[in-house]
Amino acid sequence: MPLLLAVGGAVLPLAYLALVIDYGATFFLRTRTRGRTPLLLVMVAVHLGYLVLWGLEAGHAPVTGTPEVLSVLALATAAVYAWVEAVSGDRRTGLFVLLLAFLFQYAASFLTAGASAGAAGPSAGPHAGGLRAGLHVLPALVAYTAMAFAGVYGALYLAARRALRRHRFGVLFDRLPPLETLGPMAWHALLTGFAAMTVAIAVTPLMFGEGGGEYSAKIVSKIVTGSVAWGVCAAAVLGRWLGRWPLARTSAVAVVGFLLVMALLAVSGALS
Amino acid sequence: MPELIAIGTSHHTAPVAVREALALAPEQALALLRRIHAERAYGEALVLSTCNRTEFYVVPRPDGPADLRADLLERIGRAKDAAPPAPDPAIFTRREDREAVRHLFRVSASLESQIVGESEILGQVKDAYRLAVEARTAGFLLNRLLHRAFRVGKRVRSETALEEGSAGVPQAAVELAEHIFAGLEAKTVLLVGAGRTAEAAARALVARGAGRLIVANRTPERARQLAEHLGQARGSPERAPAEAGAGPCPERGKDGAAEGDASLRPQRARRTPGGPAVATEAVGLDALPGAVARADLVIASTGATVPVLTREALAPALARRTRPIMIVDIAVPRDAEPGLGRLESVYLYTLDDLDRLVRRNLERRRGEIPKAEAVVEDEVRRFERWLASRQVAPTIRLLKRRLRSIRRRQIEQYGNRFAGTDRDELEAFSEAMCKRVMHHPIALLKHLATDGATSERLATVDLVRRLFDLDALEADEEADEETEPRGPGPRS
Repeated sequence: MPLLLAVGGAVLPLAYLALVIDYGATFFLRTRTRGRTPLLLVMVAVHLGYLVLWGLEAGHAPVTGTPEVLSVLALATAAVYAWVEAVSGDRRTGLFVLLLAFLFQYAASFLTAGASAGAAGPSAGPHAGGLRAGLHVLPALVAYTAMAFAGVYGALYLAARRALRRHRFGVLFDRLPPLETLGPMAWHALLTGFAAMTVAIAVTPLMFGEGGGEYSAKIVSKIVTGSVAWGVCAAAVLGRWLGRWPLARTSAVAVVGFLLVMALLAVSGALS
Repeated sequence: MPELIAIGTSHHTAPVAVREALALAPEQALALLRRIHAERAYGEALVLSTCNRTEFYVVPRPDGPADLRADLLERIGRAKDAAPPAPDPAIFTRREDREAVRHLFRVSASLESQIVGESEILGQVKDAYRLAVEARTAGFLLNRLLHRAFRVGKRVRSETALEEGSAGVPQAAVELAEHIFAGLEAKTVLLVGAGRTAEAAARALVARGAGRLIVANRTPERARQLAEHLGQARGSPERAPAEAGAGPCPERGKDGAAEGDASLRPQRARRTPGGPAVATEAVGLDALPGAVARADLVIASTGATVPVLTREALAPALARRTRPIMIVDIAVPRDAEPGLGRLESVYLYTLDDLDRLVRRNLERRRGEIPKAEAVVEDEVRRFERWLASRQVAPTIRLLKRRLRSIRRRQIEQYGNRFAGTDRDELEAFSEAMCKRVMHHPIALLKHLATDGATSERLATVDLVRRLFDLDALEADEEADEETEPRGPGPRS
């Protein structure tokens, strides 16, 4: 099993990279811009299998250490995108989303290189694993995935908008979906992130249960990261609802928020 | 004698005044073809007549007209009920066999169109074929040829980007709109003024499914008439329909009213999907701010000397707007103040921007020409191979080989039941039987090769090939040749 996991850890980033190259061809060479990608579905299934094996080897759900979280984020990003592509039939934004999945998985594999699944990092404490942790971790992962989508589609929206306002009829003009598709995608992802992170934060006290818990630097960094993520989402959502912010502004906030959260997650990972 | 001749004129060789004189409306083309059929002047015939070309594709008969050009000009005159046109002979181009096939394929692929990559020509070729079928002048060869031509058009469309991107100003406005809006359904188009190009752009947007049309004009009555007229663009072709047999072709260029090979007759090809009629409304220019606030797309083309769409008048309505609004200012001098483009939700484009987009698209189409030409050459080769396989001599050879092969197998299967002289008798009997069976078909094929009409010969050869599965036999021969080079041997 450890060998299988080690091989999986090495192969998964390469497989995501292959997908990125395929979608890169779609974007730059305009091949197969519509339709579905069977390889993507296979990739999601294989990655899910890898995480199941990881969990079996580690004896807990793979959501405690930073590498595990990053790998789950990669899977969630790819899986959500597979659904978006299946529904829309449009492959043009796959390059950007799958690039993110590749980066997540590459970071996860890099951090776990040479380590066994059971030693995914320092123990997260008595509240590692278990149902209570799951109640927090699952919505938190949904929130981070949604923020990733909001960041990617927000950036694409801003890039496409800039090209159109500056009358630049180049690659971005040709290759991206219309503004009315990109903007709402970023916005809905933000809404999802806001809702999910609200649930995750609300459930957090349950994780510490009776007898309290230890507020290690890692836990504090996670709380800070989650709070920042929630704050960014809340600012964008309230800004649009109450302040009638245009999509360009909410998209900009989504992009900045996503980068900030990624930076904080990296810090959190360094503290592991 | 060539098997196929293409003769005609196009925008490459003749000015529009000459092309007008030669152009035929559908009913005129049908009448011309029916007369050809009745008089048996040609084995097969098809006429392709559009704004930019009038071309005949004929399979000649040995006893047909000696001067093809003169005969066809006379027929055009009769079809138009006028004196036969007498243009300079130099404007006519005559192509035979392979070159005729290549030309038709290039036409179908829109490589010969005035704007390369225009999408109407394939529909026009299909219409021409339909008329030939109706007049019964499309026979075996033209049937095969035209179906291959349709395939060429389809391949070029799917394998190259030759038709991508707008190639006219109105279409460029639609293309821009499709980069901003996810769909044009339920979108409101506001047309300010009444310029030709602006009308064409508004028509193109309505034809693409825009839900509502508001027309603002200095004259309310003019606004109302225009709204009614443009409101009928849904479910009709994206270009201005022309009366059958009408005069000059629609003007090209900035108004983009016609792209490539526009037909003189009412367009039947490529209708946009129908649906509920587009709602229309007419307003005066004093109601412009309110109309702009309700609109998603604004096409401006008035003759005003000062801007009619000003930031001061429109900012209150547009400043807090969250959904995008696209303003296309086609007027010179401009109708929209440039400052409008700085508002958050406004996407402002001028005629220069549309021109630039069109030029970029045309440049990209030109880059796709080699790919499209490669498709054409591939299909020409395939058609040539098919035509070569429908020649008499190889068919006779394969027929003999097929029957002798059957004879040999039967002798191998049953021959061991016969001994001695009985076996010799069996061989002689089977040989005589084969010769007797082959005699009449071979005699017929030889007769058609020397004295028959091309269509009848091709059809008969095709039938014989299918009856005896000679194409499979030929394929086996070719496969054997690839593995073992055939040495000299007895000819079957």
